[in-house]
Amino acid sequence: MAAYVLRRVLWGLVLLVLVSLLTFVVFYVLPSADPAQLRAGRNASPATLAQIRENLGLDRPMTAQYWTFLSQLAFHANLGYSYFSQASVGSLLVDRLPATISLTLGAIVIWVLVAVPLGVVAATRRGTWVDKLTTGGALLGISAPVYWLGLVALYLFADDIGIWPLFPGAGSYVPFTDDPWQWFTSLILPWIVLASTFTAVYARLLRGNMIEVLSEDYVRTARAKGLSERRVVWRHGLRAAVTPLVTLAGLDIGLLLGGAVLTEAVFGIPGIGQLNYQAIVHADYPLIQGTVLLAACFVIVANIFVDVAYAYLDPRVRTS
Amino acid sequence: MPRPVKRALPLFALCAAVLALGACGSSNNDSGAGATVDNGAGGQRGGTLTLLTSQDIQSLDPGITYGSLDLNLLSSAVRTLYAYAPDNPTDIQPDLAASPPQVSPDGKTLTVRIRSGVRFGPPVNREVTSRDVKYAIERGFNPNVANPYASTYYGDVVGAARATGGPIAGIKTPDDQTIVFELTRPTASLLAQATVLPLSAPVPPEYAKPFDAKSPSTYGNHLVSSGPYMIPADRDGDVLGNGYVPGRSLRLVRNPNWSAATDDRPAYLNEVDFRIGGSTTVSGRQVLAGDGLVLGDSPTPPLVKKAYQTARDQIFFSPGAGSRYAALNTAIPPFDDANLRKAVAAALDREQMRRIRGGKIVGDIASHFLYPGVLGFEEAGGLEGTGVDFLANPEGDRALAERYMRAAGYADGRYTGDETLQVVGLAGAPDSNDAQILDQTLQDLGFKTQLKLVDVSVMYGRFCGVPRARVHVCPNLGWIRDFADPQTVLNPAFNGEFIFPENNPNWPQLNDPAINRAMARAELTVGDQARADAWGAIDRQVTATGAAIPWLYDRQPNVFSADVRCVPELWNQGHCDLAYTSLK
Repeated sequence: MAAYVLRRVLWGLVLLVLVSLLTFVVFYVLPSADPAQLRAGRNASPATLAQIRENLGLDRPMTAQYWTFLSQLAFHANLGYSYFSQASVGSLLVDRLPATISLTLGAIVIWVLVAVPLGVVAATRRGTWVDKLTTGGALLGISAPVYWLGLVALYLFADDIGIWPLFPGAGSYVPFTDDPWQWFTSLILPWIVLASTFTAVYARLLRGNMIEVLSEDYVRTARAKGLSERRVVWRHGLRAAVTPLVTLAGLDIGLLLGGAVLTEAVFGIPGIGQLNYQAIVHADYPLIQGTVLLAACFVIVANIFVDVAYAYLDPRVRTS
Repeated sequence: MPRPVKRALPLFALCAAVLALGACGSSNNDSGAGATVDNGAGGQRGGTLTLLTSQDIQSLDPGITYGSLDLNLLSSAVRTLYAYAPDNPTDIQPDLAASPPQVSPDGKTLTVRIRSGVRFGPPVNREVTSRDVKYAIERGFNPNVANPYASTYYGDVVGAARATGGPIAGIKTPDDQTIVFELTRPTASLLAQATVLPLSAPVPPEYAKPFDAKSPSTYGNHLVSSGPYMIPADRDGDVLGNGYVPGRSLRLVRNPNWSAATDDRPAYLNEVDFRIGGSTTVSGRQVLAGDGLVLGDSPTPPLVKKAYQTARDQIFFSPGAGSRYAALNTAIPPFDDANLRKAVAAALDREQMRRIRGGKIVGDIASHFLYPGVLGFEEAGGLEGTGVDFLANPEGDRALAERYMRAAGYADGRYTGDETLQVVGLAGAPDSNDAQILDQTLQDLGFKTQLKLVDVSVMYGRFCGVPRARVHVCPNLGWIRDFADPQTVLNPAFNGEFIFPENNPNWPQLNDPAINRAMARAELTVGDQARADAWGAIDRQVTATGAAIPWLYDRQPNVFSADVRCVPELWNQGHCDLAYTSLK
């Protein structure tokens, strides 16, 4: 197992280099905007523009720019500095990470706690009104765009602009260390909104998997042996049915830790997603590179964890 | 400075909602329905104002700052030699200066007396002198600062042409309270006006030099205040992580060394908090419903409608917020033919383009390029226009368009050429709608077109601002002045000397020798009225070429909470002037 994990980590590092190269190509070689022009404005002479380019290191050959970036990262753990604020990219990421982690972990808890029982109940009560309600609700959750859902949630429940002012509104997020209660209450609506789509997807998937698993021979055997239905469903059926969802969850968690842009934007949560968006608007390449690499890192690490967890859940994977 | 404005533009428009405002227009000459122009007198002292904005500050360095929100912030934290009162966007007033600018009869020397008793905030704490202003301007030529307009407006100062951040011989400081600019050409009147831009805000050299030695300079993150407000910093003056968290928040607190006796600004508020990030849609609603809030972004059209209909005292339409026009590329066929350009201008329904944005309330139909609040606007014809026939009818004149087509050699009144015109406009309503109106107009005249709708930075950076891209028509262009002098509107936009291979500001690539010569003469004209006359005449000449089609003089909507007495900066798109605004 240790060798397996080590191999995955090394391969992950290779992937990160590839991601950084791809990001560099997309934003440096095929740029949508010129950060020097954005900084200079329309009135700047060619000479001023050239000076700004030189300041930002954009006048150097592409290979030199990439090598500088890579060597700084590899040997000095330095992601560079924002073109606009000159703040270190690393410090900006560290500053934003707690908000994104808070948002992601809370949403995960909600969607797991809701999706699993919903999926199991829908599978075990196929064709009943419970199943139909779950399926219909899932369809709604999958169809509703997160941004729209967020706006509706605020217009209904935010204490500043909502019809029923129950929860703090957009922009009310504070770090946990500043005020734990406000931290918690300010994230309730964002958690629910972010979790809604995933809850729907996971409930639907689990329902399908459960239906398949509950018709397996070993489940029939378990019932024939006299095990209670509850034990059959939750211990034997769910364990097998949830395995594919673990893989999916790993990917989703990794992606969300890279920044749930829309949710963060609607609720004004200062996370990685918002940072990434601002960086793209300003063509702030060091920051774009930093946020993309961070997101890639999370996806890779999450996948490693998922693979290990999968091996634990499914003995057949361990022996193969 | 040109479009795009530095405020976030609405990402969508509910056209029906917007069109409904068209019937609620105001007269052409007032500032628009809603809240009125205010000079801020008699405000209540105290309180904290919160400004919500989706976009971060671009730079805190007065040597670099160029965006409207940044100017709004800096105008309360630093003091330039001259400034505009919030309700007067045309006449400069002494700010750091003690008296009006003294321009020598030959126009080659500008002398400014500086107030005594103005002090820097922490950690510098000492009195501001003329040498601090001298250094502030010189550092603009430092490659590590690379001020975007230093060479344009200060380039005539003796020695500036070779400046790289060191002393400039033509900026003299005979004593602590006097600064003298000696120029190679008689452009002192223009220079006096240009000192409203933040480059003239004093910078203490003994403090700033170590930051300016870095590439790029980090002085912005160590900004020292000279105005009524400052950004909290640590002992070394570092604002990062203290008063400013990039992309999240920024605080302005009172500068303990500011003296009301040296400043005309009342500075009622105790604090201003910038909350950065989030959605303009949500922030706008929060501002309307909340307390002590102003919106730093352009409000979305539904919000404009809601505010106009239900909270009229909480919205202000700022006149003179810039102009919008479409450029026709005069360097390549077919619009190297003036008759074809005039045909397009005659056919275009500018009224429809305005209606799609909200109707009369969003601005007046433009008929030339100098806009209200800029010197020379009246001299060029004001709202009546210059008198050219192809812009006489805001709803378009198809018959006249066909006459111009025939004059260009197209007997049927429709274009029969082979090329497909590249039309590049902005993605997202209502700009995309305006682009489509112009595109349809071209097609109605027989042109084959290919319309691309792109992001604003792509439009300027890869297409309209790049001559080799060979774009024929750019419908969604616009210009905002740097200050009230008409040269800042017309010169870069229509002078043949400003056609650059990239970052080109002369989008139609107009290169008319007669107009270029007139501009060269007008640059050297001394005196406000004389300059207004000269540039007003040039505006008429430019308009007559049909190189660009003016279609809107913008009124920028600004939204604020009911308990905010917003004093709009008419010189800066109506942002609430933080040094004059108060809470009720």
